[in-house]
Amino acid sequence: MKKLLFSLLVLVLLAPGLAFAGGAAEVDDGVLRIGVILPSGRDDMSWSQGMYEGVSAVVANMGAGNAQMAVTENVPNPVDAGAAIRDYANQGFNIIIAHGSQYQNPLMEVAADFPEVTFAHGTAFETSSNIFAYDPQAQLGAYLFGWLAAQMTNSQVLGIVGPVRAGDAIKYNYGFIQGVEAANPSVRVLESYTGSFGDNIQAKEMAEAHINARADILTGTAQQVVGAIQAVSENDGVYWFANDTDQSPLAPNSIIASQAYSWETVVQYMVDSHMAGKLGGEIISLDLTNERIQLVFNPVLADLVPADLMAQFESKKADVASGAIQVRLPE
Amino acid sequence: MSEFFQATVLLGLLTAGVRLATPFLFAGLGEMLSQRSGVLNLGVEGIMLIGAFVSFFVAFESGNLYLGLLAAILAGAFMGLLTAFVSVTMKAVQGISGIGIHILGLGLSGLFFRLTMGSISTMRGFPRLAIPILKDIPVLGRVLFNQNWMVYAALLLVPISWAVIYKTTFGLKVRSVGENPHAADSLGISVTRVRYICVVIGSIMASIAGAFLTIGQHEAAFVNNIAAGRGFIAVALVYFAKWNPLGVLAGAFLFSMIDAFQLRIQIIDIGIPYEIPVMLPYIVTIVVLALSTRGRVLGPTALTKPFVRGVHT
Amino acid sequence: MSAIKKSVPSVQSIELRSVTKRFPGVLANDSVSLSFESSRVHTLLGENGAGKSTLMHVMYGMYAPDEGQILVNGSPVHFRSPKDAAEYGIGMVHQHFMLVPSLSVLENIVLNYPSPRWPFLDLAAARERVVAMSNEYGFGIDPDAKVWQLSVGEQQRVEILRILFRDASYIILDEPTAVLTPLEVKEFMGVLRRLVADGHGIVFITHKLNEALEISDKITVLRSGKVVGETTPCDTDKNQLAGLMVGREVVPTWQKRGAAGEKVILSVRNLSARNNKGLRALNDVSFDLKEGEVLAVAGVSGNGQKELAETIAGLRRIDGGEILLGGSNLAGLDVKQRIDSGLAFIPEERMTMGVVKEFSLIENVILKSHGTPEFASGIFLRAKKIRDSAVQAIKDFDVRTPSADVAAATLSGGNIQKVILARELSSRPKLLIAAQPTRGVDIGASEYIHKRIVQIRNEGVPVLLISEDLDEIISLADRVLVLYEGQVQGIVPPSTPVEEIGLMMTGGNTHYVVDGCEDSETPPTTH
Repeated sequence: MKKLLFSLLVLVLLAPGLAFAGGAAEVDDGVLRIGVILPSGRDDMSWSQGMYEGVSAVVANMGAGNAQMAVTENVPNPVDAGAAIRDYANQGFNIIIAHGSQYQNPLMEVAADFPEVTFAHGTAFETSSNIFAYDPQAQLGAYLFGWLAAQMTNSQVLGIVGPVRAGDAIKYNYGFIQGVEAANPSVRVLESYTGSFGDNIQAKEMAEAHINARADILTGTAQQVVGAIQAVSENDGVYWFANDTDQSPLAPNSIIASQAYSWETVVQYMVDSHMAGKLGGEIISLDLTNERIQLVFNPVLADLVPADLMAQFESKKADVASGAIQVRLPE
Repeated sequence: MSEFFQATVLLGLLTAGVRLATPFLFAGLGEMLSQRSGVLNLGVEGIMLIGAFVSFFVAFESGNLYLGLLAAILAGAFMGLLTAFVSVTMKAVQGISGIGIHILGLGLSGLFFRLTMGSISTMRGFPRLAIPILKDIPVLGRVLFNQNWMVYAALLLVPISWAVIYKTTFGLKVRSVGENPHAADSLGISVTRVRYICVVIGSIMASIAGAFLTIGQHEAAFVNNIAAGRGFIAVALVYFAKWNPLGVLAGAFLFSMIDAFQLRIQIIDIGIPYEIPVMLPYIVTIVVLALSTRGRVLGPTALTKPFVRGVHT
Repeated sequence: MSAIKKSVPSVQSIELRSVTKRFPGVLANDSVSLSFESSRVHTLLGENGAGKSTLMHVMYGMYAPDEGQILVNGSPVHFRSPKDAAEYGIGMVHQHFMLVPSLSVLENIVLNYPSPRWPFLDLAAARERVVAMSNEYGFGIDPDAKVWQLSVGEQQRVEILRILFRDASYIILDEPTAVLTPLEVKEFMGVLRRLVADGHGIVFITHKLNEALEISDKITVLRSGKVVGETTPCDTDKNQLAGLMVGREVVPTWQKRGAAGEKVILSVRNLSARNNKGLRALNDVSFDLKEGEVLAVAGVSGNGQKELAETIAGLRRIDGGEILLGGSNLAGLDVKQRIDSGLAFIPEERMTMGVVKEFSLIENVILKSHGTPEFASGIFLRAKKIRDSAVQAIKDFDVRTPSADVAAATLSGGNIQKVILARELSSRPKLLIAAQPTRGVDIGASEYIHKRIVQIRNEGVPVLLISEDLDEIISLADRVLVLYEGQVQGIVPPSTPVEEIGLMMTGGNTHYVVDGCEDSETPPTTH
């Protein structure tokens, strides 16, 4: 019994707080407080980092006297996230962003108890009077990338390194494949999943498998892609289309372009709405028309895309943005 | 479908299998030594993470990969001493303290990464090192002898571990301490000392396994939780291996080859849900384990049992 | 190989001067002074807990004495560990064998012994020496066999070989005969004589009077950590030694009355079962147990006795056959139903199966009956009733305890056994199964347990007694059933010569008979 107690004590002592929440706040001092819950680390070079940087930029613009932020990261589990959401609400945070589709249930539950607080979550579609949902139209840029990749491939084989067949990943992959088919139906797309969002080594091996099977342009989503991009950069003549944020610093010689979400504008929109008394009730779309999605080309590889192809790409982009080209979503 | 059986794809599969098996070999052989002495080190995953971060950080800052590896060895030794202190000296319940070590490694590696580097950076890791003559052996040469030197080291550790365990006086002491520490003690063997040595060596090997995930890759990078459960699989492989180095080799290769296989079976799109191939390595390993447990398994019977002179358990 | 044995013993004498050893709450050795010589068998006789093992652990360097001195060949020594003692040529065979089951005989022998080819093992050279020594003493041990494949007697010889391999000249044997069959004991005595003839000194720890009288050159009796007598076999007898050991005269307080009845209470028919490893442990076992009869099951440990008790008690699944209690088959019934039909069971593992160690004596006594209307109303326990009844039972069964509320784990083996008896017998059983009821129990408590068993036998309750102590079997049994490899070798009257029962216990291997007869013709070493 004593040994068990000692062991538990060791466990408690050795386990440093993995997540840190902001300090207790006093309510009504006029400072806008934003709490953010992230499924992975805020420096994952993808989904979580994008949102972290977006909120940081908004808070920095407003000034420390007017806005503050706190982050809870690495909570893939919705139950833990639920505790963090409630904690922020209890501490008087004004806007609480749970940045993951898996957080929907705990978020709705807490939001009902704190009608004065704005809650936001995505990718999601459920809203209420104090809940914003946001929905990045991942398939739009993916379609355009697929279209471009199909024109650029030498081997006529492309690869998609997916994490888990759900959420954004499906939307993105679905759009990419449609783009390839529109450009050249004879180009093969290898689509596969690692079964994990964060296993970089596995994603790297999966990318290797694609390259083995002669894929010369790859793409993929989630924080695991850092590994896949490593594999791509190890192989000459193999390139990558990125998602979430501008990932070109990771592999400047391999990343053709990135679909980057402008989380800053999304967060700014929610802050403005909140201050104007609109606490939620809207699905905020991230798409090409509102420029919350940006397609960022890597200047290092600018020569790779011929000017005429680039011109065609721009006109396709306009068609997609205007709705002239409809990108379907999976049912 | 037919293209799947092309030589290049098969070669790629086998090469990837060897590469994937490497961290399991380092961590698994180390864990096997630790368990042979009677200590279940469930913190392997956390120690791998520490090794992955420390080696990458030191190599990145110094520009010297070997310095990074040395740092991983030292960090592994430190974690080993901590593990041994908790499990051997303080006689804590090993399953629980191991989880503590895991959480510590996960937390510390993430924390130090944030404090020191802050963002994902990449660098060149150990390059491929083709072994002359051997690399020209058909198939085998490409698969086994065109990897980086850490892969060779891991493969060499299999016969070395085997010789240490079965052919040396130290190995005999380890086996006796893990099975009947009272017998060892009655002959003047220091159970504590042997267990400390084994846990520390095992932890160093776990740390090197972590280093392989960063600086052992051609393009090296550290990301949070890069081990992604490999440490726990290594622990499971030790049971699969029945505490035999050759079994660790077999288990690591079985698991990794099937993993490499499933990555490739997915991309030929034969219309099965991707979840099935993803689970395949685990399923096959469990099935093989279940089928192979027939016969007497002479594992270290004192595993997880702290030694107290005069108290027979 | 010239180093087959060491011809000149390095230890001529060992002397203990006023050795005192304390453990928390226990004075294990109280100023013990003793001297030991080479070429002698010196027996330490005493009950469990008399301090024999502790004293020898001090002499072997496992414990440091709190007070007192050890002198080897007249000069004081300080042993910090068994390794130090081994360097002086002292070796010890422990009560729990200190062998590693998965290792080979050879590996066990060279464990922690300097290798000429360090860091590698040199098994080839060691094998030669071990084979030579094994042949010299007639051990017949295969050096490459795994220890777990060996019989207990063979394992003991491996322990001795290991000590001889290290050139020990003085050997301490802690209860070496407790685990042996009668024939193995005879063989073992022969080994001791050969060792002594070679100039080795022997300390022989036992609580069996016959053995002490048979083999010793000198007998020292210990009681409660003190030396209470020193003698030689020529100057004493069994009664005197027993009196010294216990501190009072030991007279049996019970007597079997009347012959067993004719009515069959328990009938076991073609019973088969497996052991924990899934191997066949009981094979077509059949016997009848009659009213007022003690049927004793004899056998070398691990020949199916444990499985027999457990199948009848309902703790183990049967593969085939039937168990009829009073004519109705028990096979389909669970443990609770068997208890309700009148079965009482004293299990072999008294600390794990017999009592709940952490529970108080009261709780242990009512474990079986706590659900009966006498002790419970609805889901609630009737505390007062329970306490009164349990306290009475503890008193009736002579449990020596400071209070009925202490945890069972704090009591001695004998007292725990009495608690179990109190629980099992207070329910007025129709059948008692007693597995190893007195193993590791002191003489006084053993006597008491025997008295209780005979008492219920005299009342007509049949008893299935499973024991490895042939003395116990012969004194209590009405009939003796011998089990060997899960099969009934025969059912014989207790008046059958011990040698014959012993032979049946080993499956009738004639090799043992020849050896045993030769040994028995050798006159005991006395001087």
